[in-house]
Amino acid sequence: MAAASAFAITPHKVSVCVLLQMYALPTQATPPFSSVSQHNRLGLYILSLTKSYDDILEPKLEDLISQLREIGGSLGPWLIDHLTSRVSSLSSPDDLFTFFSEMRGILGGSDSVVIEDNQVILDPNSILGMFLRRCVLAFNVLSFEGVCHLLTNIGIYCKEVLSNCMPYELHRLDGSSNDLESLSECENMDLENFVFGKVNEEIEERKEATERVSFHLHATQAICGLVEDVEVVTDPRSKHHDKGTEDCPHVHRPGTESQDVDPYGEVFLRTNWQVQGYLTEQADAIEKHGGSVSFNTFELILRQIKKLAPELHRVHYLHYLNSLYHDDYFAAVENLHCYFDYSAGIEGFDFVPPSGSNNSARYEIALLCLGMMHFYFGHPKQALLVLTEAVRISQVQSNDSCLAYTLAAICNLSSEIGSSITAGILGTSYSPVTSMGSSVSVAQQLFVLLKESLKRAESLKLKRLVASNHLAMAKFDLMHVQRPLLSFGPKASMRLKTCPVNVCKELRLCSHLISEFASETSTVATDGAFSTAWLKNLTKPMGSLVLTQENESGENFHALQFCAQSSSIPRSVLQILGSSYLLRASAWETYGSAPLARINALVYATCFTDSSSSSDTALVHAKLIQHLAAFQGYKEAFSALKVAEERFLSVSRSVLLVLKLQLLHERALHRAHLKLAQQVCDELGVLASSVMGVDMELKREASLRHARTLLAAKQFSEAAAVAHSLFCMCYKFNMQVENATILLLLAEIHKKSGNAVLGLPYALASLSFCQSFNLDLLKASATLTLAELWLSLGSNHAKRALTLIHGALPMILGHGGLELRARARIAESKCYLSDPSYSDFLCGFIFSLVFEDSEVVLDPLRQASDELQVLEYHELAAEGFYLMAIIFDKLGKLEEREEAAASFKKHVMALENPQDEDPLLNLL
Amino acid sequence: MSSRESCRSELRTAIRQLNDRCLYSASKWAAEQLVGIEQDPAKFTPSNTRFQRGSSSIRRRFHTNDVTSTPPAGVSYVSTPVMEEDEVVDGDFYLLAKSYFDCREYRRAAHVLQDQTGKKATFLRCYALYLAGEKRKEEEMIELEGPLGKSDAVNREVASLERELSILRKNGIIDPFGLYLYGLVLIEKGNQNLARTVLMESVNSYPWNWSAWSELQSLCTTIEILNSLTLSNHWMKEFFLASAYQELRMHNESLTKYEHLQNTFSFSNYIRAQIAKAQYCLREFEQVEVIFEELLRNDPYRVEDVDMYSNVLYAKECFSALSYLAHRVFMTDKYRPESCCIIGNYYSLKGQHEKSVLYFRRALKLNKNYLSAWTLMGHEYVEMKNTPAAIDAYRRAVDINPRDYRAWYGLGQAYEMMGMPFYALHYFKKSVFLQSNDSRLWIAMAQCYETDQLHMLEEAIKCYRRAASCNDREAIALHQLAKLHAELGRSEEAALYYKKDLERMEAEEREGPNMVEALLFLAQHCREQKRFEEAEVYCTRLLDYTGPEKETAKSMLRGMRTAESSFPLMDIEHFHP
Repeated sequence: MAAASAFAITPHKVSVCVLLQMYALPTQATPPFSSVSQHNRLGLYILSLTKSYDDILEPKLEDLISQLREIGGSLGPWLIDHLTSRVSSLSSPDDLFTFFSEMRGILGGSDSVVIEDNQVILDPNSILGMFLRRCVLAFNVLSFEGVCHLLTNIGIYCKEVLSNCMPYELHRLDGSSNDLESLSECENMDLENFVFGKVNEEIEERKEATERVSFHLHATQAICGLVEDVEVVTDPRSKHHDKGTEDCPHVHRPGTESQDVDPYGEVFLRTNWQVQGYLTEQADAIEKHGGSVSFNTFELILRQIKKLAPELHRVHYLHYLNSLYHDDYFAAVENLHCYFDYSAGIEGFDFVPPSGSNNSARYEIALLCLGMMHFYFGHPKQALLVLTEAVRISQVQSNDSCLAYTLAAICNLSSEIGSSITAGILGTSYSPVTSMGSSVSVAQQLFVLLKESLKRAESLKLKRLVASNHLAMAKFDLMHVQRPLLSFGPKASMRLKTCPVNVCKELRLCSHLISEFASETSTVATDGAFSTAWLKNLTKPMGSLVLTQENESGENFHALQFCAQSSSIPRSVLQILGSSYLLRASAWETYGSAPLARINALVYATCFTDSSSSSDTALVHAKLIQHLAAFQGYKEAFSALKVAEERFLSVSRSVLLVLKLQLLHERALHRAHLKLAQQVCDELGVLASSVMGVDMELKREASLRHARTLLAAKQFSEAAAVAHSLFCMCYKFNMQVENATILLLLAEIHKKSGNAVLGLPYALASLSFCQSFNLDLLKASATLTLAELWLSLGSNHAKRALTLIHGALPMILGHGGLELRARARIAESKCYLSDPSYSDFLCGFIFSLVFEDSEVVLDPLRQASDELQVLEYHELAAEGFYLMAIIFDKLGKLEEREEAAASFKKHVMALENPQDEDPLLNLL
Repeated sequence: MSSRESCRSELRTAIRQLNDRCLYSASKWAAEQLVGIEQDPAKFTPSNTRFQRGSSSIRRRFHTNDVTSTPPAGVSYVSTPVMEEDEVVDGDFYLLAKSYFDCREYRRAAHVLQDQTGKKATFLRCYALYLAGEKRKEEEMIELEGPLGKSDAVNREVASLERELSILRKNGIIDPFGLYLYGLVLIEKGNQNLARTVLMESVNSYPWNWSAWSELQSLCTTIEILNSLTLSNHWMKEFFLASAYQELRMHNESLTKYEHLQNTFSFSNYIRAQIAKAQYCLREFEQVEVIFEELLRNDPYRVEDVDMYSNVLYAKECFSALSYLAHRVFMTDKYRPESCCIIGNYYSLKGQHEKSVLYFRRALKLNKNYLSAWTLMGHEYVEMKNTPAAIDAYRRAVDINPRDYRAWYGLGQAYEMMGMPFYALHYFKKSVFLQSNDSRLWIAMAQCYETDQLHMLEEAIKCYRRAASCNDREAIALHQLAKLHAELGRSEEAALYYKKDLERMEAEEREGPNMVEALLFLAQHCREQKRFEEAEVYCTRLLDYTGPEKETAKSMLRGMRTAESSFPLMDIEHFHP
């Protein structure tokens, strides 16, 4: 399609031309522009009219008028009056001819035109000049029939505003007086609304009922989702039902009142450029917000575009995205194939419309997309088959960048799906890079793939890909143990180790992107985004006020500049940078630095939420809430969780749901609500069931918590059995980092069951794991467990335990959560108390009133019991108060002793009679 | 079924009435059927049977067991009384309007009838307005052709017509013709359900309007919808059902209906063409050719459905017959999409694909939704190795009718050509889903699975098995099945399929490398299974062929004979320690 023919002259463009004329010839205005800024403002407005892509349809005259009213300020009425009278005065083809020849006069460069004093000479090569030239050209190539149609359309365009001077003929053509039809339609709608209203009520009731019972939110959520869908499906054509879906603020919906496409030809698509921009924006929105974008609303828009521009194949791609993120497999497959059948992979990916020479079909992109789709839907096997095909085809077509992306996708696939599944596939199928054979482990294959992919991306200078490859590499380094690729025999040195330095390096390399993207950006795209943002700001009250008043106009321009700047970094770059911070946060979490993890998460939450997908944002919130729970107790965490849940109402419930279950479980264990703990644990198990595809992480979490519940219920052998099988699973799937936690749990189980000797090797093993994987916080906690084990072996080991604890204390106090700190303190004071020399010392000086020494023991106990009360960890708190009471007793401080004893009693009572009423649960 | 005589008189009246209302295509159809009714031998005059000659030969060839004309049990045909004319004498204005209408001056015709209130006049006025709108719509379609293919030209009369007709219907002063027009308007508006009801009312009260039937048929997209219609029994209903069945791909049911109808309308060209269409879909090309030869002898200037004949000629590679046909339709009416398609087919057969594409393009210019032209153009592009264009053409065909298995198959082939077998599988699956008894589709899919890249032999075997079970003409499936099983080391299954393949080749008296391969495998297999006698039979058969296999067979025979002779020796040795 030639570019010239893609630009059709429409009534709206005629009015823009009129505005341009007013802009260029200000002297003709009876009250001329009162200031330069007012004049500039009109220019800016016209510019954004030609560039913005906030809608697919050209605005109607009324919209234009209301916008002008805001822009023009005191001049507004005059502008509107002039515009409407000028446009409505075009009543014969000859008027149009004169109009457009006048328009040519505005353009600079033609000598024949007499230049007036104040005239702004439009540079023919400026954006507005180009626009004007295109309009004139488009008019000149019109046939006479075309001119007639334009005239009719202008009539209809004006008619709605100036209904008093509506000519008879237009009235007839329009057929607007068919009230009969609209009446019957209204009846239908009312009926449907009524029915749905009833259904909704019912659902509401049911929802309330279930909410009272417990926190099982999945069921109600599912029902609500169902109803919402049904509601929309039944009446796709009506606008009334948009009510049901109005809670999605993400997708901008173009003027809903024009959803019933008016059959009388007064609806025009904007220019190709603008529509493409709109579609790109929507694609971003869908990818960002996932399922929370209303399916049917967007589908309606797409259908409308399809009707107005059947040859715009990108619509199919948007269809695909929409159905992909609403988990409609069949529609997604259909639309994906359809899109690539039509576009041959050329249209759309880079913003270039297909030109005449389209012999460079790129179907490998289709394969890449299909592979990603299968991955999304959890068909790793198909995904791998398709991606290998993509690798082959891109090699054949020598499309290197596609190859690089495909390799990255394969890396992503094999790292995400987990070693469990890919093991079989990678072995049998053709490994695209090297035929390494099946002797090499999956992790090593992945490593080679990652390296290869990174190398390719670097040589092709695909900066985003390089950055995301660095990220993938960092992720790999974080989770996998480095091992020499080839090791012969048992004597080969097998120093298992993770490399935090490497992770850090990769993350830093990733951040280079921000300084490098500049050369890649297309200025055109930002231009449009800027205009869109500007026009959107118009509707905000603050913007409109500012403009009429001179002194404040500067402020507005600041706002404008800010808009322009914020959009000057492409969203994809921001997204990658954001995920690097996310990865940083989780890396620090693993390595055990709580403050650094929190800072990175906070950076992400404050700087990157606008550009990142809502599931990532939810994840970051989950991390922060977890942090809150560990350091400030559950009350704070639960109220934060509530806020987060409201914010991410429909998005990625699973992350927050898991978090909620985790918190509830933790709390139930502390408060010794074993029944509740078991219930929550079961729920987690359901989430981890294989119906939705296996998530190893979740599975591990569920059984770990199961073991802990059993431990709390003092079923030691069962707990040990569960932990053992979990250890075996993790070992099988090469999850060494996770194994450290499990070993520690085993040590804990043996400690509690009174088999301290059995516990020691586990604690030591865990310790060595932590050491080689650089898990510092976990190491501290393992040391603490080790100390406790030693201590329980008898008082003669107290000294050794004390040294261990003192060694770990800096780490624990610096980074540990409330529970860990309290445990350490109690253990410390127990060490003191059971140390024979120290107790002698205490007894000996009992009357000497040397309080400083007793404070050494009392102070940590006090702090511990404070912290434990925040956590409501009854068992440990009781222990703390018990110890305190003994010391006070020894010291002879009876009053304080009684106080401690009373607290002890309170906690023991709470422990023995767990109350079902929990004030915090009501918070949720 | 009602007697021929009553059919004849009904049709005669109907033609007059339809003509009176300017429903020309319906009246054309009715007249064709009228002539198609077999003449009584008593009135046998040469002029009457001018259009009926030769047909008996078809009947001799294909209907040896002539069915007696008993209607199916339980069906009683109500002969509807022919409608009374409300105005016996047409008003002068009506005559003027009809003349204007005949000169295609629709708006003038409507204007003349503006104040007339009779049913007939009202209908003609509305119909003229509708056609005026249609004409304008077609003009606008060209004028408004937007940059991105926007073609939303609409009939601007529809809204006002709908209003008027719905009021008439509500007040009960609408005749069946008005209902038909109302149906047309509703279809244009997209209100299919009401359109179906209205058209049903129309055909129930006036069954001879074939245009109404065919509109109704276009609304029956599934068998459920078809079954939900309540239609009163009339012989026209049989025509409707036959055509609806055909559209729903129930070809055998449709054939039965048509053959039954042929008892009365034994010389109807329409029915013959429809039978040919059904046979074509069942891939009985021989019969289609015979029928069309007869048809064109009777009706040499026929263009409708002749493109199908050209497809048959193409498939049979009849160069001269196809060129003759192309020449004839070209002389008759060169601006018919069918004619362009036939010429395109001819050039394609000659291997001049560029020219062929040109003519298919012309056909599509004349009718953008001409399904087979898109598919055929796709084939041409495949021949020209322009895969993206081919894919585009096929995809358009699929978008027009998603049940077109040929286009899905073409898409699959195009992607397979580009070395994307997994991607192609999606399309083959679609086509196989639509036409599950076509062995070619199954074989294509199996070959996809078999490619080096996928190498999913189990799936390939499944597909070949399906292909073998649905009458695989080229006998590829059996051979491939045998080969695949042999490759997977399942010699029992392989032997079974080789044997089947062998039997089939013997039955069809085919020779070739497949035969040698089968014999060799069976010989070796039998020897391994120690069935020496069988092995010897196969080996001896192999001796009839030249080539290295002959030598292998010889040595095998020699080896077996020595083994056989040594076996007893060994036994003897055992017995004599």
